[in-house]
Amino acid sequence: MRQRYALRVNGETRETEAEPHESLLDVLRENLRLTGSKKGCNEAECGSCTVLLNGRPVVSCLVLVPDAVGRDIVTIEALAGDGTPHPVQRQMVEQGGVQCGYCTPGMIMSAYALLQENPHPTDEEIRFAISGNICRCTGYGKIVKAVRAAAEEVGRAAS
Amino acid sequence: MSEDTSPETTGAYHWIGKNVTKPDALEKALGATEYVGDMVVPGMLHAKILWAGAPHGVIRNIDTKDAARVPGVAAVLTASDVPGTNRYGLAVPDQRALADDKVRSAGDALALVAAEDEEAAEEAVAKIKVDLEPLRPILTYEDALDPMAPAIHEGGNVFQHTTVRKGDLEKGIEESDVIVENAYHTHRMDHVPMEPEAGLAYVDPSGVLNILVGTQYPYRDRRQIAPALDLAMNKVRVIQAPIGGGFGRKDDITAEIHVGLLALKTRRPVRLVYTREESLIANTKRHPMAMNFRTGARKDGLLTFLDGDIYGDTGAGVSLGAYVIKKAGIHATGPYDVPNIRVDTYTLYTNNLVSGAMRGFGVMQAAVAHESQMDQLAHRLGMSPLEFRIKNCLKPGLASSTGQLMNEGCGIEATLQRIKDYMSAHDLRFNRPHA
Amino acid sequence: MATRKGLGIGSMYYGIGYGFSRADIGSAEIEMAEDGTTTVYSGACDMGQGVMTVVTQVAAEELGIEPDQIRVVAADTGSTPDAGPTSGSRATFVQGVAVQNAAQELRGQILDMASRMLECPKENLHVRRGEVCETGTDRPLVSVGKVAHQLHFHGRRAAAWGWHDNTTQDVDPETSQGDAYATYGWATQLAEVEVDTETGRIRLTKLVSATDAGKAINPVAVEGQIEGGATMGLGYALYEQHILENGVPRTASLAFYLVPTSMDVPDIECEIVEVPDPRGPFGAKGVAEPATIPTTPAILNAIYDAIGIRITETPITPERVFFAIQEARARGEFEED
Ligand code: FES
Ligand code: FES
Repeated sequence: MRQRYALRVNGETRETEAEPHESLLDVLRENLRLTGSKKGCNEAECGSCTVLLNGRPVVSCLVLVPDAVGRDIVTIEALAGDGTPHPVQRQMVEQGGVQCGYCTPGMIMSAYALLQENPHPTDEEIRFAISGNICRCTGYGKIVKAVRAAAEEVGRAAS
Repeated sequence: MSEDTSPETTGAYHWIGKNVTKPDALEKALGATEYVGDMVVPGMLHAKILWAGAPHGVIRNIDTKDAARVPGVAAVLTASDVPGTNRYGLAVPDQRALADDKVRSAGDALALVAAEDEEAAEEAVAKIKVDLEPLRPILTYEDALDPMAPAIHEGGNVFQHTTVRKGDLEKGIEESDVIVENAYHTHRMDHVPMEPEAGLAYVDPSGVLNILVGTQYPYRDRRQIAPALDLAMNKVRVIQAPIGGGFGRKDDITAEIHVGLLALKTRRPVRLVYTREESLIANTKRHPMAMNFRTGARKDGLLTFLDGDIYGDTGAGVSLGAYVIKKAGIHATGPYDVPNIRVDTYTLYTNNLVSGAMRGFGVMQAAVAHESQMDQLAHRLGMSPLEFRIKNCLKPGLASSTGQLMNEGCGIEATLQRIKDYMSAHDLRFNRPHA
Repeated sequence: MATRKGLGIGSMYYGIGYGFSRADIGSAEIEMAEDGTTTVYSGACDMGQGVMTVVTQVAAEELGIEPDQIRVVAADTGSTPDAGPTSGSRATFVQGVAVQNAAQELRGQILDMASRMLECPKENLHVRRGEVCETGTDRPLVSVGKVAHQLHFHGRRAAAWGWHDNTTQDVDPETSQGDAYATYGWATQLAEVEVDTETGRIRLTKLVSATDAGKAINPVAVEGQIEGGATMGLGYALYEQHILENGVPRTASLAFYLVPTSMDVPDIECEIVEVPDPRGPFGAKGVAEPATIPTTPAILNAIYDAIGIRITETPITPERVFFAIQEARARGEFEED
């Protein structure tokens, strides 16, 4: 049975219709046309669909729409919402953390969530934070470097 | 004589050697790049495939009646609906877009559905009834080499036999002070591009079939799509969409012919996006190989011979397998000067999943064998594995296994030397051979 | 936990391109608009590794303009010429030369027109930073945009097509003798592993990759290939296996088919070696596959160095190592601590 849901996505309330068993990922991608979150597996194994739910990174292919109601959903589209790329986004580009780009949005959301919680992570903490995000292209080294550089940039801006 | 001030000599390039930012990286980081699975066009249908799921069998019947009645279904197609040759394949056209006479691997496609939404397409796929008469599957190297075993394709299961011959093998064996012999087995690997295969096709008002696909080579796709669907080549346009990884797998046809066929039949845009499971089942993999290697060296540390056999399981289609396995054969010595060589390679059809191009292309497997042999010889001779390689590696003036004379651009010694320098700078030492 | 460390190396060579008489071609068109901005129609697919970036840098170098003045349109049978596939580590090596050829011709057109405009012999002119300059002094005389404008408005070509054929003859059918490939890639890797002798578990603790790029046109992109390649090699060595039972896949899920994560990969140390190859653009050649191949053998050899046991079958799963240790123990051949 299709039902109406009101989702709070990137600071806006969005009305949509879906089956209760549909995943948040499908609703974001298909109903709301927010296709920055990718579907690499649809089985909670790759991290390409990572979004923030009340500030915490989750794989949205595993979240059912009803469970997202009443929570703050943040997707990759919001990070440069004001037109300026977030430091994680810019550093991913500058440090060479982007190749095919398919893992990139999910990877950036995991890194962004980490920096919200822990503005000065060690490399070990960065590696742990992105360990649910598979990247087949880069070998992760340049992504770790990008997150570290972004943390420094955010830290400098704050001080 | 004027002084040479060209950048080649002075290294004074403006842009070569600089870390210019990739032009496509920012839009990817913003999540703005649209891969095929992100694209939507008005009136677009969604496609699903019925896969064989069984390795070998005669197709007696495929009943699509119930599937076609599912609400929202626009087309249910089988091999008899394909207007052209229905064939493709990079070395020889031995793969069917849709299986006709037989199922040859679990990854064969049997039928296609296009529907208004994915759910309807899935439901229809589930309602297709297949009557398959199972045949004994050929799954091992031994079965494939057995001339009495049933042939998967006409012409038998040994698709190709290649031979590398250089110098005098017997002489090489005689001159050897140490000989190492081993059997190596490598496994099947999947490319796992993070973007599963996808394609989007539509016929434009001028009658041209347009196909957007994450491909590694649109022109070769066109060469394969046109005859398979009985179209003139200038009526097919293939556009590389942003691609979420390929690693050799998207060299082959993936979604192209399927979406193309559905778009032709329905006259509507059709999008096909694989699930991860489908991606792991269908299309190509890395060849499993069995390699028997015997290698010799003299007391002074020089290699004397290589005597080897390489068997590659290319599955139910050759794809690029014939080249992969032939390449493994001519790279079986590794980057060393080996004066006497006998290597035979066999490209074998089986009812396993098709193997094709994957990053490393046969040399990945050969290196497992040749480098293991190198270390064992070094240990037997009491030499450092690094010094043993430096002593034997190709240098300008020496010839490869195919007799190709090395000249400029022969960098193996430089890479070995770089590792040697690294080890001494970091005070790293091998445990073996024991002093 | 009883662990032992070992070091191993793996080397390889790899024929760049297609070989076997298979068409191994590149081609591109370059067009300069009236404002000097330039479009390269390049038939080579970018897989994210950066062939578009290489094309941009090669064109910028040859044309004497800034990379941000160049846009690359890639891989479409409807708009770009046939440049062969992006595979075989051939894109930089082959397409790079095609673009170089196209850019050189376009530069010639610009200098011809500039020479008329300035009434100055072509030999005394060159392009630098988007300006036609006087050779020797580097004094800017006229912008390339102005020259391109003149070309357009006189109905001349401000566009050029360049190609490169890297096809090599097949080797002899009986002996496989012959010049199989135009050139070869070269690489050596050093791996350090930790073997848990109780569980058979292997950890890669260090990887140094010395890869010959000929000339690194974009060092960060080259490192990206080296790190990504070695990571795929690591997956091949230790984690990934597609298992079929009676021809039916049993690992058709990322829950069973295990791809390396950020926790499995050490910081890969890239040693870019540059032995220039005169056949490649500015001496460059491909690295994607050379960077992938040595990892598995280096790990196999490091395991032997650690525990004195030769594993001959991949992937090197903990079970395989565990049983190999048990068997060596049973034979009294395992070196106990
Ligand atoms: S798509 Fe959600 S984890 Fe892979
Ligand atoms: S950049 Fe391709 S998967 Fe990460």
